[in-house]
Amino acid sequence: MGALTRAVRNLSRRKMRALLVIIALGFSLAIMVSIPAGIIANQAAAQSMTTDFNSTMTTMQEQINKTATLIECQTSGQGMFPGGSSGFPFEGSRQQQTYVNEFVANGIRTISGVKDVVEFLTASSTETTSETISGPGGRDFTISRPVYTITGVTLNSSFIDDYSILPTNITAGRNLREGDSGVVLLSLNLTAYFGVGVGGKVEIYGKSFKVVGVYDASGQGLMETRSAYMNITDAQTATGLTGNLTRLDVYADDVSDVDSITTAIGAAYTSLQVTTYKDRLSQLDNMQTMYNQTLTNAQATLSQTDTVATQEIMIAVVATSLIVLFVMLYTVRERTKEIGTLKAIGFSNWNIMSQFMLEGMLLSLVAGVVGIAIGTVGAPLLSGILLPQISPFGSRGNSQFRLGTANAGNFGSFGVLGASTVTVTPSLQTMMIAIGAAVLLGALGSLYPAWRASRTRPAEAMRYE
Amino acid sequence: MSEVILKAEGLSKIYTLNKRKIPALSSVNLQVNKGEFVAIMGPSGSGKTTLLNVLGCLDKPTSGKMILDEVDVAKLPDKQLCNIRRNKIGFIFQTFNLLPYLSAAENVELPMECTRKSKTERREKARKLLELVGLGGREEHRPQRLSAGEQQRVAIARALANDPAIILADEPTGNLDTKNKYEIVRLLANLNINRGTTIIMVTHDSQVASHTERMLLLQDGRITKEKQGLHLVRKKLMCPHCGSKIQPEDERCPNCRKRL
Repeated sequence: MGALTRAVRNLSRRKMRALLVIIALGFSLAIMVSIPAGIIANQAAAQSMTTDFNSTMTTMQEQINKTATLIECQTSGQGMFPGGSSGFPFEGSRQQQTYVNEFVANGIRTISGVKDVVEFLTASSTETTSETISGPGGRDFTISRPVYTITGVTLNSSFIDDYSILPTNITAGRNLREGDSGVVLLSLNLTAYFGVGVGGKVEIYGKSFKVVGVYDASGQGLMETRSAYMNITDAQTATGLTGNLTRLDVYADDVSDVDSITTAIGAAYTSLQVTTYKDRLSQLDNMQTMYNQTLTNAQATLSQTDTVATQEIMIAVVATSLIVLFVMLYTVRERTKEIGTLKAIGFSNWNIMSQFMLEGMLLSLVAGVVGIAIGTVGAPLLSGILLPQISPFGSRGNSQFRLGTANAGNFGSFGVLGASTVTVTPSLQTMMIAIGAAVLLGALGSLYPAWRASRTRPAEAMRYE
Repeated sequence: MSEVILKAEGLSKIYTLNKRKIPALSSVNLQVNKGEFVAIMGPSGSGKTTLLNVLGCLDKPTSGKMILDEVDVAKLPDKQLCNIRRNKIGFIFQTFNLLPYLSAAENVELPMECTRKSKTERREKARKLLELVGLGGREEHRPQRLSAGEQQRVAIARALANDPAIILADEPTGNLDTKNKYEIVRLLANLNINRGTTIIMVTHDSQVASHTERMLLLQDGRITKEKQGLHLVRKKLMCPHCGSKIQPEDERCPNCRKRL
């Protein structure tokens, strides 16, 4: 039976006290475990955010380059949430939808330099549904939106092949093709809403359509999630908007023709909002500015995090040492007579000192294990409370940092940033360091009480009651 | 001539309290021979415990000489005093001072922990000592499961662990009822007779003291009186009452039936 056994027995002697001390120490150590994990998660989140931004920017730049000859012509009221490019998609209000006649398309086709004109009709159901979406700062928003939005497209095989006019991420069935009529391509959300699959029938605007395919709209923007694609003629018939259009994609023969075509369209058809690659590049610049600001904020937060973390870890270190110090001082005082007895039967100062130091270290070791357990489970919460937030978009809750989704504003078919998620879990290395730190702080905290115990004069200790 | 195991010459101990000097021991001269069973008696505050602490190297005398087993321990540094306490002295306390979180055997093993004995040797010796004090089979019992008398027996076994030259007992019967009191005194007396253990016992109980060989009366820090106890005749296997032959383990004289 050695000093270690005695230390273990002493710890288990006063179970409630030991438990309370271990929990107190455990929380202190959990902070030490959680904060580095939070910092690492913050750095990973910032890195991930940068990667996402860069990737999105590259993709969008490529798309703009590819569609340099595209001139988008839209009627007013396009889109459900016409928010500004600097804002979130929930801003703004719904505008009265206007339409242009198919004759406009025919007129545009006669403009010199125009290669193709693709006609679209977009219409939303009058029936609405409530939906909860994540917004800035982790807050959830409940919005009211149409149950479905249909998009009628000119199903010309060369258009389908050459231009991105239909969704590409087909998860079941097939995509639409030239000659399709009375059929529909549904987003996944809508199949769930209608409760149908490929081959099933859905009723849209009172007309029955057969579902030929399903596509996954995630990451494509809010509008796409409850969309259905069909032949433009079917869409016009179903909505009673025969001959009407909401959007025209005008393709020029060459980039050099874009300006002249844009001028001609603008002059002839004032009701159309015309957007060219130059506008899209300008919007891209705006986005770049916004993202740069976001990244700057994130960097500032990271550097602030380091300072706060250092202070908090120092407080935790001091708190741990003080807890051990006071507990061990109390223990030494309480066991003065025992110290006297041990000295009387031949224990040296070193024997006594090592006994109490071992007890302090053992207490801290157990607390370290408890601290790691608390830290592992509570790291997201603790680091969320103790460290500054990384992103103006982001929030931290449950077990993850959510950086949220930065919306591309009025970018239409251009992509949105994917949500980046980083889990806050203390690494094995952090855990090992925490255990080492716990034992070290235990030794440090118990050093003075153990020294005091060892210096106790046996005759005085024996008199102590 | 008997071998002297402990000799104190002019032993003084003065405590200082608020700059006032309080003499606890004044020029105590004492000689204890090997194998003796000595009682130190005296009223409260007479300096009994102080004397025992000084004799047991728990405290240092202010002046004087103290030779224990041919070594002058009065001026030894703390580290060496610790070795003396470990190897040459066994302590028995009024309140037993057993560690409550250790078993009887573990308590007895405790003084041996700082020696070179192996774990097996320690355990075996503890078992034998517990058997010697009549607690065979109670090795794993913790103090709270033992009676006061049994706890004092464990403390006696612990005091014997390192085969000390002398055992110092501070009021060993002070916390015991009459039955246990005599059992403990008899146990100490038998250890003295059978093993030749030198024992110095502090007590204020004259009946307990009468079972020793020599009684010293301490008053105001000085030894003022000395007289013989019953133990000497018992040691010679004679009934102190009628002089007939007795055995060490006898509780009563087989002839006169008087309590030994």
